[in-house]
Amino acid sequence: MLGFLKSNILSKFVVAITGIILVGFIIGHTLGNLLIFAGPEALNTYAIGLRDLGPTLWVVRIVLIIAAILHVITTINLVRQNKKIASGYKVSNYKASTFSARFMGYAGLTILFFVLYHLAHFTLGFVDASTFNMEATLENGRVVHDVYSMVVIGFRNVIVSLFYILAVSFLGLHLKHGIHSMFQSLGIHGKKFTPMIQKVAAIVALIIVISLISIPISIMLGIVGGQV
Amino acid sequence: MNLKLHIWRQKNNKAAGAFEQYAVSDISEDMSFLEMLDVLNEDLIVGGKDPVAFDHDCREGICGACSMTINGNPHGPEKATTACQLHMRKFNDGQEIYIEPFKNKSFPVIRDLVVDRSALDRIIESGGYISIKTGSAPDANDIAVPKAKSDVAMDAAACIGCGACVAACPNGAAMLFTSAKLKHLNVLPQGQAEKKKRTIAMVEQMDKEGFGSCTNHYECEAACPKSISVEFISEMNFEYAKARATAYRD
Repeated sequence: MLGFLKSNILSKFVVAITGIILVGFIIGHTLGNLLIFAGPEALNTYAIGLRDLGPTLWVVRIVLIIAAILHVITTINLVRQNKKIASGYKVSNYKASTFSARFMGYAGLTILFFVLYHLAHFTLGFVDASTFNMEATLENGRVVHDVYSMVVIGFRNVIVSLFYILAVSFLGLHLKHGIHSMFQSLGIHGKKFTPMIQKVAAIVALIIVISLISIPISIMLGIVGGQV
Repeated sequence: MNLKLHIWRQKNNKAAGAFEQYAVSDISEDMSFLEMLDVLNEDLIVGGKDPVAFDHDCREGICGACSMTINGNPHGPEKATTACQLHMRKFNDGQEIYIEPFKNKSFPVIRDLVVDRSALDRIIESGGYISIKTGSAPDANDIAVPKAKSDVAMDAAACIGCGACVAACPNGAAMLFTSAKLKHLNVLPQGQAEKKKRTIAMVEQMDKEGFGSCTNHYECEAACPKSISVEFISEMNFEYAKARATAYRD
């Protein structure tokens, strides 16, 4: 099943396709998270709505986990081969390469560690069990997990927020290069399309970074979650 | 002009190499980069020292023999220019210049700036040809080639096989070279019969040679003396995946 790892091009296909899945998740996750600005009721209703999906949620989770694992192992394998063959020059002088392109690996590894921490924090409740057990009552009387307060209390910790901001910024750099690269890897290109998708990738990455970073910043400034 | 050169000297593939410093003086700005090295070598020979070995042949930018990395750029700083066509007027008087061989583990150093690029020849040998019946010449224009396709074929065929793309790639990939060689045959009617077999063979030979993979830095296109476009890499990716996905039919 992992035979594609022997081929550089097929490996790139796997990285691109898993990348599309992960970008789709990030866009959805970002839109969902922005509900925090609509208040506790909106965010908690959204969160319990996701839990209520039951088996569907697990299908999505399994697809995402497999995509993430394949994305990481395939890129690590490619980088290992590339390091074996390439050797740098005394003077390095780039004509076309961008910072985001050269930073892909470091950004990717930071994001990986961040995602593991983020899951431990907000999905598994390993980081702060006390906030993970809080409950809120919705307007329809249903008692649910108080995701809103958990996020607010979590981001009031400056270190947690700074790590989040750093990781999300790296994610932005990763997406700026990754979103247009996946088209190139899959053979979708064009004289007008390629420059256009490079711009779209940068804009999408920037919107995601600003949207996600606005959450911890608003919480630390007390604009969001003042009542918690 | 006077220049301070740092040149990579290496006796052979087994020996360890190192930079050596040379000063050259009274260089005309109308000289090519290779002519400047010729002046240095004459001085070295007169002084009883070993001249710097470097590859060169046509010295008019079409053969692909010259191969050196000048201040970190294969073929030097100019766009779409081979080292032999690079003029000294592009440098400043008193400038320090680092000259290194094309670096890639699949390009072993033979001596000084001369590297063995036969890995690229082996990629061509694996499928970069069209099998035809030899005999009397076919009628001209017997096979109609649309203008748009012949233009693309010519753009791809402009590749002189110098290996600058490989030397410039931070990942040591040979994808620009291989994709150009595939494209100029695959886009023409004469190349159709063996397209799938050729695509699989050349891509797999490229992997077998140990070349790296593309992460879209596009340093190859920027270094290419013929400005071969990275769009050929994208097409190769698709064509290879398609060829592999449909290989079961053959």
